[in-house]
Amino acid sequence: MLTSVVVCAVSLTLFWMAAFTLWWQMHAWRTPETLAATRFEQPSGDTALSFSLLLPARHEQAVLEPTVRRLLESTHTRFEILVIVGHDDPETAAVAERVAAAAPRHVRVIVDTHAKKNKPKALNTALPHCLGQVVGVFDAEDQVHPALLAHVDHAFRATGADVVQGGVQLINFHSSWYSLRNCLEYFFWFRSRLHLHAQKGFIPLGGNTVFVRTDVLREAGGWDPNCLAEDCDLGVRLSSKGRRVVVAYDSEMVTREETPDSLLSLLKQRTRWNQGFLQVYRKRDWRRLPTFGQRMLARYTLMTPFMQAFTGVVIPLNVVVTFLLDVPVQVAVLTFLPAVTAFVTFVFEVVGLHDFGVQYGLHVRFRHYLKLIAGGPWYQLLLAGAAIRAVWREQRGRNEWELTQHVGAHLIREDVTS
Amino acid sequence: MTPLVVSGPPATAFRPPPVPRRPPVVVRPVLRLRRSAPDLALCGLLLAVVVVVQGWNITGYPSLSDDEGTYLAQAWAVQHGKGLAPYTYWYDHPPLGWLQLAVLTWVPSVVAPELMSVAPMRCAMLLVSAASAVLVYVLGRRLGLQHWAAGLAMALFGLSPLSVVFQREIFLDNIAVMWMLLAFCLAASPRRHLWHHFGAGLAAAVAVLTKETILVVLPALLLTMWRHSHRDTRKFAVTGAVLACALTGLSYPLFALLNHELFPGPGHVSLVGGVTYQMSRAGSGFLLSPGSAAHRVLDSWLYYDRALPLGGLLAAVLLLVGVRRSVTGRSLAGPAVAVLLLAAVALRPSGYLPAMYVIQALPFLALTLAGVAAAIACALLRTRPGFCRRWYPARWTAVVLLVAAAGFCVGPRWYDGTRVALTADVNSPYRAAVSWLRDPDKVPDARRTRVLTDDAVWLDLVHSGFAPRTGAVWFYKADLDPAVAKTLPHGWRDVDYVVTTPTVRRDAPSLPTVDAALRHSAPVAAFGKGPSRVEIRRVDRVRERAR
Repeated sequence: MLTSVVVCAVSLTLFWMAAFTLWWQMHAWRTPETLAATRFEQPSGDTALSFSLLLPARHEQAVLEPTVRRLLESTHTRFEILVIVGHDDPETAAVAERVAAAAPRHVRVIVDTHAKKNKPKALNTALPHCLGQVVGVFDAEDQVHPALLAHVDHAFRATGADVVQGGVQLINFHSSWYSLRNCLEYFFWFRSRLHLHAQKGFIPLGGNTVFVRTDVLREAGGWDPNCLAEDCDLGVRLSSKGRRVVVAYDSEMVTREETPDSLLSLLKQRTRWNQGFLQVYRKRDWRRLPTFGQRMLARYTLMTPFMQAFTGVVIPLNVVVTFLLDVPVQVAVLTFLPAVTAFVTFVFEVVGLHDFGVQYGLHVRFRHYLKLIAGGPWYQLLLAGAAIRAVWREQRGRNEWELTQHVGAHLIREDVTS
Repeated sequence: MTPLVVSGPPATAFRPPPVPRRPPVVVRPVLRLRRSAPDLALCGLLLAVVVVVQGWNITGYPSLSDDEGTYLAQAWAVQHGKGLAPYTYWYDHPPLGWLQLAVLTWVPSVVAPELMSVAPMRCAMLLVSAASAVLVYVLGRRLGLQHWAAGLAMALFGLSPLSVVFQREIFLDNIAVMWMLLAFCLAASPRRHLWHHFGAGLAAAVAVLTKETILVVLPALLLTMWRHSHRDTRKFAVTGAVLACALTGLSYPLFALLNHELFPGPGHVSLVGGVTYQMSRAGSGFLLSPGSAAHRVLDSWLYYDRALPLGGLLAAVLLLVGVRRSVTGRSLAGPAVAVLLLAAVALRPSGYLPAMYVIQALPFLALTLAGVAAAIACALLRTRPGFCRRWYPARWTAVVLLVAAAGFCVGPRWYDGTRVALTADVNSPYRAAVSWLRDPDKVPDARRTRVLTDDAVWLDLVHSGFAPRTGAVWFYKADLDPAVAKTLPHGWRDVDYVVTTPTVRRDAPSLPTVDAALRHSAPVAAFGKGPSRVEIRRVDRVRERAR
């Protein structure tokens, strides 16, 4: 009897967790109207705001120049690019100086002299130098669409937002089995889930293609230099102050990025994020959110990496236990609920991959679907590993910045396809 | 510090390609039936009429059927914690149908346990019929029918004598139809919400798990969903629906698997065995060849009403023929396909065709017939925008003549059918038989008396004190259920009484114990006359011993 009750409780908890995740993951596709509302509105033509685009670059001499060049192609006219380089990184600084010399009216180089370097410190270094009304953040390897600024400008004015988060999309799904899953994760996150967060008034912002009104950002005190997920933290702080955040996703307008180049760097990146989420959770800024629902959403979202790791391991275990333990058939049927929900999520991922291919004009082959399916459990293991590693590191007080290497796989692919 | 460029030419001469404009998503006017006064008034009025016509004299007509008794007894068994059936559950049908019946009849069965027998519990079906009738109206509206046409569909569905007869009875098909109609309504949801489509899949699965034969209609549901979903979200919506339906449906084999009863084996029942039995039931012959069992079933349907089955079938064909040219044809393609699928399955020469099969077709027949009526009215009166309106008196005359002709054809049969349904009491023999067996002067010790009985009155006997399973015995279990046969070691000699109804007399020749009991018994009481009489026969063991 006790076994049955425990099994029921575990199954129902897992089911609700899986169901909520599924519900939120599919947010954008709920109705055609919702899907249409997730896109950028067509800009009216005139531009009113000025932008300061921050571009922190560390050991990224290989990808920095194309990124700046592409930013300079923007159709918007009122913007400046602030490339932030470290004082101990002469190669990147040299590239930065070169591009700044080529376009002196638009590009400046800011040198970050912190002894221990990380992204939030670099951004904070540049913040006092920003002259635009809106601060935008990009990464050194980003491919930014030339019309993006015009769209963001329009979005700010049309919605009265304080923050506009544009879409970011990993694009090199063909590189490896995990990059395929990684791309799809981004697809569901930026295409769908973030819109739900914006609607609910609690949003962990993305690391780039994020635009904040300069005065709002300065008032919030910039980025938290000690947080490993400074982007998420900023979003949480701004949401708890009731700042209006708008998310817009357009497959033509997304910032294209690449996945980490090896499994290990993916693990490191994910560990950093998880640890960052944990830090944001422990900072308790989210407690200032006005409604109970928002606080619950915040709690759940910030714990998601750990829940994901937990459910990924427990759901299969739960089904196995059913066969081994002697429980009534009704209870046994119940234990399949979480697995069934996970399976539904899985199938929606396959459909999502198809949609991803259609949206980006990419040829998704049959073997990619197979890879997606076969890679699922292993990716889940990786996530669980990253979650455990994050907790371990946080416990040991290790919170130095593990940087992700970029080789420009998304750029190469662009050349191949175009 | 370099000043911020406030104006000036673009940094480079690059001109990106213009962003292509997407066709804007058309926000359709959402049909809000709950706030529309004409819809509420019409639907409410029709609902009242349907409930009165179906509810009046529901216990008296039509005659109790053994299937009703079976399902209700199984619901009773569920309520009393005796498993899924009073006898061994053998996967004849998925159990969800009578699980719902058990829930539906739970409150009255607690308040007054003796109410839990077929005739009084038919009132529970009134709820199901009412829900289905409203869903037919909603579906009609969601598929684009005008108020009056949706109302016509609802009236045809709820008031046709054929419907009245079948929807009053406790058949799983009625419950399955309700769920399938809900699935269609959700599939045609004007909001085109992903979770509505998900719900449609779920409702369809519940329908199939209630009565498996409604599986035939699923392609029509898919078609409806396809037509009503938006291009941008369709792949997610349809995937969600198919998944919800398939995964919920799979819970039944999973249930069997966990019970170790999926595959046949010695000493236990199995799902595969149950399905094999259902698939291998003796065919009823070709529907259209006179003399076949299927033809007799068809005749029995047409006896009650011709307009709905024949007219609806013709309407379905017309709608699908005109699918390219007619708006109505396109919007009602789902129900029309459902009708043709059901018709095609009924026309299989080798298949088994039960009388209640027609229940599953009733809502779709009503919708197609109403759809064609709407199309004709539309064409005659040219109500669509853009048509010039000429010859109006002549057009109205034609409409009036058509309505009159339809009334002339349908009216008398419907009047007769409804009158019989509202006044005839064909179940008095059953009641009399039960009160005879309940009489302690006639049957002094009910607890120790064994009666082979039709399922229809089994629950009445249980309430009268006969021991369930072994005292009051479903007649065919004496031969077909090894667990029951074991309690009758001397075959017919262990039986005290046999209650014979038309069903018992029909099936007895194929059941040796029942047949022997009939041959060695004499009627002690008979109620009613002719082939529909109910007899109580006492098994004459004395004479046998003397012999």
